Amino acid sequence: MDSLKIKATKCTPEVTFNAENNILEIKGDSYPENITDFFSSVFTWLEEYLGELKNQVFTINIELNYFNSSSSKLLLDIFERLEEEVEKFDKKIIVNWIYDAEHDNIEEYGEEFKEDLNSLTFNLVQK
Amino acid sequence: MLNNLYHFKKELNERGIFFCFSGPLSQDLLVEIGGTLKHKMKLEEASSSTIFKLFSMFVEQTQNIIHYSAEKCQPSREQSEEAELLSLSSGIIVVGYESDHYYVLCGNMVENEIVDTLREKLILLQNMSKEELKRYYKEQRRQGKNGNSQGAGLGFIELARKAVKPIEFDFQNINENNSFFTLKTEI
Repeated sequence: MDSLKIKATKCTPEVTFNAENNILEIKGDSYPENITDFFSSVFTWLEEYLGELKNQVFTINIELNYFNSSSSKLLLDIFERLEEEVEKFDKKIIVNWIYDAEHDNIEEYGEEFKEDLNSLTFNLVQK
Repeated sequence: MLNNLYHFKKELNERGIFFCFSGPLSQDLLVEIGGTLKHKMKLEEASSSTIFKLFSMFVEQTQNIIHYSAEKCQPSREQSEEAELLSLSSGIIVVGYESDHYYVLCGNMVENEIVDTLREKLILLQNMSKEELKRYYKEQRRQGKNGNSQGAGLGFIELARKAVKPIEFDFQNINENNSFFTLKTEI
C-alpha cells in the first residue's frame, strides 16, 4: 500500500501514512469550511487500506490541537468504521489519542470518544 | 462620518468590545481573525483553557454565519462557471470582555421559515444541564446528517456545552422574508 501524505494547512491537519510501520498520523488543527471535502480523500485511502490489511497491527496516532464540531462527527465516523473491522474481521487496530498535559479540553474529547467505543483499542496518551 | 467613528470606537471600548466585524465573511478571514484573537488573549494572560474555549466558540459561531446566513452575495452564472467564484455570506461578529467573562456575540439574517425550529432547538439547549448536553451531543454526533445541517447541528450543542451560562439568543423580524438572529455565548 502506498504511503499517504497530505500537508497541513492553517485549518486542516497533516495526514501521513508510513507503509513500513503501518502508522497513520493525523496532526494539527481541523476546522475547514467543508470537512467532508477534506476527509473524503482520507476515507477513500482508508477503505482501500482496510481491504488489504491482514494480520499486521494498524496504528493511528491522532494529535489534534483543535477541531470543530463537524470534524468531531467525522472522527467518530472513522472510529466506528475501524471498530467494524475489529468486530467483523478481528483486525488489530490501535488508536492513540495524543494530548498535551496542559490541554485538558483535548483530553476530555478523547475520553468522550473512548466512552462511545466498545471493541476498538483507544488509548489516551499524554505527550 | 469622520468624527463619528471615534465615538463608535469609544462606545465599543466602553462595552468591553475589543473585536468587531460586520460584512462578508470567509474561511480565510476566520482563520486570521481566530489567530489574532488567540494572540490577544495570550497577551492578556488568559488561561490556555479559556483561549481554547473562546477560539472554539468563535469558530463555531463564524462558520454558522458562513453556512447559514440568508444575506449572501451570489456570483452571476458567468462568474461561477468561468471564474469559479463562490458566494459570500455576511454577518456580524463581536468579541468582548465584561464582568470577568469573555463573550462572542454574533448576528446574521435568517429566513423566517426556519425561525420557529431554530428557536425551539435553542430553548431546548438553554434548559439542559451540562450532563444532559453531553448526552445530547453524543446522541446527535452518532446520528447522520440532519437535513440542511452540515455538522449534525452539533455546533449549537458544542457552544452550549462550552459556555459558562445558558446561551442567549434573539430573533428580530425584519420583513416578510427575513429575521435577524443574534446569539451570545460567554466563557
